[in-house]
Amino acid sequence: MIEDLFAEAAGKADEVEVCIGEGQEIRADMRRGEITIGSASRFSGIMIRTVNDGRIGISSSDSPKRWKECLYAAIAGGNLADKQNWEGLPKDAGTLRSNTRLAFDPDLNVSSDCLKNLISGMITGSKEHDAAITSAHASLSSGTVTLANSGGLFLTEPTTHVSTSIEMIQGQSTGYEHDASWELRRIDPIAVGKTASWYASAGERGVELDTGTYDIVLSPDALSQLLDAVLVPALSGRNVHAGRSALADRIGDQICGEKIQLYDDPLDPRGSANGYWDGEGVPVRRIDLIRDGILQQFAYDLRTAYRYGKETTASAVRTGMAGSPGIGFHNLILNGPAGSVYKEDAVFIRDVVGAHTANPMSGDFSVELSSPFFIRDGELSQPIRSAMLSGNVFSLLNQVLCVSKETRTRGNMILPTVLIADQTLIGKA
Amino acid sequence: MSLPYRYYDVRRVTGEVTQIDIDNGVIEAAGTSFTDLALIRVLGPVGWGVLSVNGDRIPGDTLPLSLLKEALLAAKITNGAISIIEGKCRVLSVPKPKEDPRDTDLGEKTEILLEMERHAKLPDIVNTRVNYVERTGTVTFFNSSDNRFTYDICRCGFGILAVASRNGVTQIGYERRHTIDGLNIRHQQDLALQAGTIARDLLEAQPAKGGIAHAVLDPELAGVFAHEAVGHAAEGDLVQEGSSVFAGRIGERVGSPVISITDDPTLHNFGFCPVDDEGRETKRTGIIRSGVLSAYLHSMESMAALGEDTGILGHARGMAGEVPIVRMSNTFIENGDADYDEIIRECRNGILLKGSRGGQVDPGRGVFQFNAEYGYLIQDGECTTMVRDVSLSGDILGTLHQVMLCGNDQKLHAGFCGKNGQTAAVSDGAPHILLKDAVIGGSSLD
Repeated sequence: MIEDLFAEAAGKADEVEVCIGEGQEIRADMRRGEITIGSASRFSGIMIRTVNDGRIGISSSDSPKRWKECLYAAIAGGNLADKQNWEGLPKDAGTLRSNTRLAFDPDLNVSSDCLKNLISGMITGSKEHDAAITSAHASLSSGTVTLANSGGLFLTEPTTHVSTSIEMIQGQSTGYEHDASWELRRIDPIAVGKTASWYASAGERGVELDTGTYDIVLSPDALSQLLDAVLVPALSGRNVHAGRSALADRIGDQICGEKIQLYDDPLDPRGSANGYWDGEGVPVRRIDLIRDGILQQFAYDLRTAYRYGKETTASAVRTGMAGSPGIGFHNLILNGPAGSVYKEDAVFIRDVVGAHTANPMSGDFSVELSSPFFIRDGELSQPIRSAMLSGNVFSLLNQVLCVSKETRTRGNMILPTVLIADQTLIGKA
Repeated sequence: MSLPYRYYDVRRVTGEVTQIDIDNGVIEAAGTSFTDLALIRVLGPVGWGVLSVNGDRIPGDTLPLSLLKEALLAAKITNGAISIIEGKCRVLSVPKPKEDPRDTDLGEKTEILLEMERHAKLPDIVNTRVNYVERTGTVTFFNSSDNRFTYDICRCGFGILAVASRNGVTQIGYERRHTIDGLNIRHQQDLALQAGTIARDLLEAQPAKGGIAHAVLDPELAGVFAHEAVGHAAEGDLVQEGSSVFAGRIGERVGSPVISITDDPTLHNFGFCPVDDEGRETKRTGIIRSGVLSAYLHSMESMAALGEDTGILGHARGMAGEVPIVRMSNTFIENGDADYDEIIRECRNGILLKGSRGGQVDPGRGVFQFNAEYGYLIQDGECTTMVRDVSLSGDILGTLHQVMLCGNDQKLHAGFCGKNGQTAAVSDGAPHILLKDAVIGGSSLD
């Protein structure tokens, strides 16, 4: 089919790229501790990109059989797009490839027995503390992603994915935990259930907090939400050149504490969607975005790099099985001065509500806290009923006191727990 | 051989999505994509089995036996007994668009959007961006109770962003309009100008002060309040699983007597549903009536679990190929009898919050948060200084009792709502409302 596509496109477009994803998923959804929905899906998708005289067109469908419609829609769209400097799709995939799979687990069987094990593990863990399951899910999937272009590039990779989540409640205290990976052994469903039940149970009878300035401890969940809303878009080369990034003129500046490192490492096995190439078939490498607190570089895909005379950082990512390529990160990793983050009297924040409402330009945000606790004797102690955190994401990174050694993978980020000085909390006392 | 199912339904969605992206005057993308997905749900001896496949596997309006068997196989893992109440199937007619977007070619739409974008380019504006999206779709539904229907619907709209920057301060203005009424991009230059003007004005605005204060919410933000703080907590599936502070409170006073909140899928606004995605008739649903919780929003399953007297069926919606879940449609606070001047006067000292950058809720804890685009301080009964980056949070039950006045100037705004990884077209609205002792988020303190 791919050969037919390239033959059809010959003479109609200078270059053609096709990404095809196909696979299967099974899933179980629980309500109040019982499985109420069992699901199966066979999914597929095709995305075609054409380049003609520097004009880029794209089209997609969930049925690869409709490749011809997509091809002509991409060409038609490209005819309307403005011309830009274009120096070609990659012709080969470089030499990075090894036999080590970075996103495929041969031990992950998409079977109902495996699904039942995940569910029963979460149930077992959930009984650790006094709370009730409101909802939970587990899913397993496997598939293949193929990327090819008319210049001769042809890449095909198998993928696997496992995902679990559980929500629990005790009184009016809720607890949530989730975990996902490409590798089955990295998921501990009992721990997932235990954690959710602990937060639901321990969060009861929270006290009000006085408005004021506090040292705070952000969990990887809370931190990932704030970084995703503000820092991630600010590091995109496209936003930088379009005037939509507060960091645009800051390369070489100290933008956060001098021991803060932020980098993208697509080959880190802790990541959930690793690979040897980016979404355009460019061999990946580690990119240092912030080194010792100094802003080093921005992320580029081919389109943005060609337009602004930069080099791609192999930062093209695709959403879903065969989405259109855009600038993003593979495994964004934050590191900092290691230390004991559970400082006396600091406020621990498990998660935040409303991070997407942050101002992506200025970095200012105000969010409601989920599962906040006062820290006493190095542990989460007194729960706080509710409070808001108001601040600025860029300033937060300037006030990091230390980070934990342990990390969690949250979406496309691998993050520690972070202790941050002097933040504004608004209480209802 | 008879198969062990109690019910099944099939929903196939075929359609096209056209998108145009113009960034700083450059046409980045203009094109069309194609979708054809089908979802088969079968209620087995215990629970649901769901199968998602490409739509071309459903020939006409019969369910191939092999797919029914596959869905039943998926149901085997269930151990939670499910019942449903089917209710009535009725499909409202979809209003004819004033100007069918499909009659205007992509090139002309692009020219109109380019012209619109130019009007946002004021001094200090460093970036403008216009996005247009048009979704046309045909929904085909049939079930084991011999209900079957097909309808077409088109939703389209645009957003315009303006970024202002001066002396290291960067701010944004954003306006959007989405509709089921047809092509809506013509003659929108004033809206583009407004996005640019707000971004520029925000450069001079003061950071908001956090703390407890009286707050006046404009119709857009008060609509988000109705949606986030009340609508989600009234969703029958969340009530059923025990994730809502409204569980077990039908008939109880949950708010001030001045407040009534409604969800109405039959209104010809962006959240219009001619029929729900379980094939059930849609109806206006009074969630809160004069402060009393009156109805949950139900699917067939949540109504069976919670009882027919707890709400109204016809609120299940699902994206193409996804399981229908309980969703809102057009959600709004009903008009009261206060006028705008009276509300500002009555507030006396506080803050007027305008526009919305979105919100979120934890309905189990009963805690919500949402962010205004900007605001004005109210001092001695008058609006004074502009403030930026101001948000509001609270607990649902407490905040509903703090609504002091409802205005008489209700407006609805179109938007999108996310739940369980699915996005639904909705509209929210309200008149101006006055909240006593609201929790305001801002980066500075007194």
